[in-house]
Amino acid sequence: MRITILNGEPDAALPFHAYLETLTNRLLALGHTATKLDLATLDLKGCTGCFGCWVRTPGECSKCDDSATVCRAVLGADLLLLASPMTMGFTTALLKRAADQMIPLLHPYFVVEGGEIHHRARYAHYPVFALLLGAGPDSDAEDVEITRTMWGRMARDLKSRLAWSTVAERNPEEVADELARVA
Amino acid sequence: MNSLVLLNGSPRGERSNSMKMLKRVAEGWVRGEGAQPEVLHLVRRAQFQRAVEAFAGADVVVLLGMPLYTDAMPALVNAYIEALAPRVEAIRAGGANPTLAFLVQGGFPEAAHSRPLERYLAKLAVRLGSPYAGTIVRGGGESLQSMPEQANRKLWARLNTLGEQLARDGRFGAAELRAVAGTEQFSPSAVVLASLACRIPLVQFYWNGMLKKNGAWERRFAAPYGPAFEK
Repeated sequence: MRITILNGEPDAALPFHAYLETLTNRLLALGHTATKLDLATLDLKGCTGCFGCWVRTPGECSKCDDSATVCRAVLGADLLLLASPMTMGFTTALLKRAADQMIPLLHPYFVVEGGEIHHRARYAHYPVFALLLGAGPDSDAEDVEITRTMWGRMARDLKSRLAWSTVAERNPEEVADELARVA
Repeated sequence: MNSLVLLNGSPRGERSNSMKMLKRVAEGWVRGEGAQPEVLHLVRRAQFQRAVEAFAGADVVVLLGMPLYTDAMPALVNAYIEALAPRVEAIRAGGANPTLAFLVQGGFPEAAHSRPLERYLAKLAVRLGSPYAGTIVRGGGESLQSMPEQANRKLWARLNTLGEQLARDGRFGAAELRAVAGTEQFSPSAVVLASLACRIPLVQFYWNGMLKKNGAWERRFAAPYGPAFEK
């Protein structure tokens, strides 16, 4: 299975980085193709709502940055693991910046899906979503649930579903083994 | 009398749909005898910093408006909220935080897309120890760009009323919030109608017009990263 991991922790010195490193290595050892993108090392200018990716350069962000690297890695995966510590009851702004710049993966046209208006698919396949949260000092079960719900909606926007989520409390090998059984 | 700080969380800045709507709430606030509000655009670095500093004290009302990006807050607002983390500590140390009100405008017509974010924002107010004045949720926001001002008269009037309520009662009225939200979710018959409408080129007119203007029409189904979706 091809797995793309988006690391939304901005600080490389924090243990969440090492946790993801161990998890990635375990997935590789299990024979999966695991690619981890440390978002903090990429140049992501953020979405400014210009719609260039829909009406000027269809399918591609008009900004000269690394968002194409993220889009290619997302589309090339069977499973997309969004990984982020929780801060103020949600995932980091760094992870959201990458997510906002995924709209080139959709087509602007409106369609009705599951009784709601959405944008049309641009691609034949999208990865299944998974979410790995680092528990914050003040995050509780309700925060985790709200965060899961919002990313579930994001997955739905991207023609997918949030198939799995966990809080990074168990050892990373165990989490990797469970993740490998998803999708 | 409390002072109002309007925070525009749209990455489009001054010319955003969020700002168009925030302005109408501010008009109502002034009509309700509130003082002229301060306006800060988070997309501008210096104003972002000022907005972090402005978030202090019990005699302030902060109205944070934003567009819905991927059915959540845009990264810019996510970053602003992260920057407020020290204000959680300030509360524990006996300080006070402003009253919080929000405005979320989504591009899709149904309000349902915005409800999980609304739930997050209500919890954010609790986290910050801020009195919660409510969240204005409104769909169909992108059409504000193309519609003449006159066509939105009803919406502007509702936003005025909400601003007045905020000034007079310190919170938005529940009935007015329900009214401004418009369609919550499509009924089964509306789903059928909308499905048919999406097949009419007229509904995609907004996009087609821009694609043609930019000379990108022929490439509209480009799929640079993988096999294209075929309908």
